[in-house]
Amino acid sequence: MAEYLGAQVIVPPNDPAHREYLEEAAHGRLSVQRCGNCRHLRYPVRTACPECRSFEYEWQPLTGKGTVYSYYVVPHPINPAFREVVPYVVALIELDEARDTPQPGRALRVVANIVREDGQSENADRVAIGQRVDVTFVHLGDGWALPQFRLSDESPEHETWQIPTRGPAPA
Amino acid sequence: MARGQSALRGKYAIVGVGETDYSRNSGRTTRAMAAEAINNALDDSGIDIANTSFGITSYSGNDATGSAAVMSDLGIRLDYEVDTMGGGSSTETLIGLSMGVIEAGLCDAMVIHRTMNGYTGRRIGGTPIGASGPPPFATNHGDHNLHSGIYGVGSALQSFSLAFVRHMYEFGTTPEQLAHVKMVHSKHASNNPKAYYKERVTVEDVLNSRYVVEPFHLLDCCVETDNATAIIVTSIERARDLRQPVTAILGTGGRAHKAAVDYAWGHAPITHQGGIHTRDIVFSNAGVGHEDIDVTGAYDAFTFTTLMQLEAYGFCEIGEGGDYVSSGAIELGGRRPNNTSGGHLCEAYTHGMNMVIENVRQLRGTVDDYCSDWKAGVHIYDYSERRCRQVRDAQVTMNLGWAQPATSSALIMTNQL
Ligand SMILES: [Zn+2]
Repeated sequence: MAEYLGAQVIVPPNDPAHREYLEEAAHGRLSVQRCGNCRHLRYPVRTACPECRSFEYEWQPLTGKGTVYSYYVVPHPINPAFREVVPYVVALIELDEARDTPQPGRALRVVANIVREDGQSENADRVAIGQRVDVTFVHLGDGWALPQFRLSDESPEHETWQIPTRGPAPA
Repeated sequence: MARGQSALRGKYAIVGVGETDYSRNSGRTTRAMAAEAINNALDDSGIDIANTSFGITSYSGNDATGSAAVMSDLGIRLDYEVDTMGGGSSTETLIGLSMGVIEAGLCDAMVIHRTMNGYTGRRIGGTPIGASGPPPFATNHGDHNLHSGIYGVGSALQSFSLAFVRHMYEFGTTPEQLAHVKMVHSKHASNNPKAYYKERVTVEDVLNSRYVVEPFHLLDCCVETDNATAIIVTSIERARDLRQPVTAILGTGGRAHKAAVDYAWGHAPITHQGGIHTRDIVFSNAGVGHEDIDVTGAYDAFTFTTLMQLEAYGFCEIGEGGDYVSSGAIELGGRRPNNTSGGHLCEAYTHGMNMVIENVRQLRGTVDDYCSDWKAGVHIYDYSERRCRQVRDAQVTMNLGWAQPATSSALIMTNQL
């Protein structure tokens, strides 16, 4: 059984694209669907190509490198599965490969958490818009894994920006 | 998109509005509340029930009774019924739909309602009461839970915050500016006896409240309440014979979307709300412009949603919403007051219905404030606490309905036809 944070991960057999996405990750690949007709890269998993309406696709592995485009910090869990990982960062990451394609600003952006090398939640004070990040993978069992992101050693490509806060976040 | 004035401009009217009280302990089913709200709206309109052919529509997230049962409780036979899925932005959408239903000759009058035990039942901002243990992370019908829920994106605020934070980054919008929205709406609510939160709060109160999602505070979020609300639409000809002053519908726009709606973060610019599309539809249908709008009802599930919609609809430039909402313009006595009932932040959470109801009452001149003779439309126009909230000589109102950053609906009404 595939599990994440103590909760079962279920993708029904009638949804092969989502299953393949997790299988790609288990092989250490952050892969997105590449249109079999126009080669447009798309994320998240979609049933057809929003550029040309083709239903054909292949999995395209990416470098897994990107830049934090937006983020926030969750201090209190709503889903009890996240009780052990708060406070955690939810980040929107602009991936390098599809920056400014197919038109300026319409990039490939993925949501993920920013985690440390040991898999625990990254200290939110270290995260900022503009930070470079690298993909990492959390194995779920059953041949599936979940992409997550770590802060990269690369220096930011523009001045970073952090969310405004007033004093320490409540425990 | 070039559009002409709608052929239905001014041909339909809202003739009745009603609600239950706004509470956190209804102790009743959504069916019981819906019956009361609809009954109140029927009474408000004075419509001849026996000689009117009725249709009904509602919206829910599988958290409410079906419409047909409610009308059966009230002994009203239906000639049309359709219940839809949806939350915010449904009110304006279904009002537009109702005009089309009547125009198509399917019935004489439409009831639009929403009933929800939003606090004691399924809570939008939190764990369902009675839930135990973590639910599975599962995709259903090919949804994107593996790209959001599994990363702890678990509430409306969380799913919207990526856009809100990017707005702060790109335009320098501050928490203090956002806090003005709550401060202003709380002033309005202090003049509304039925508001759930009637106490005025300051900008500092908002900034000192706990973080729900950093950098957003508890008081940036709407109240969660139990309530039902109802609106009755019929033709302008019928409206002229009914009890209330005529509130004509000039135009609507219904749930227009940005290019990608279910994963709006993936497409730029994420700082633009879906109203950038609805705007052109509703203003051209209505044949009016921004300068004609006296009162707005910009959806305030969060302080930020009001700001982003006022920008998207062009009441200020995109990026200048922070200055606009903290300028006094949206306050009673200001250029264009917003959510004069206190809205979702203070009056009640109804998925948009209460903001339309409020604007109907503004246009009638009979908002239920603390003026002793408000029922007769007599107001003192003193907007200090526990006084008046009637806008003087309000002639055209506009509702801006938010479902999420990529989706918006709208409604423009007038008392001048
Ligand atoms: Zn294609």
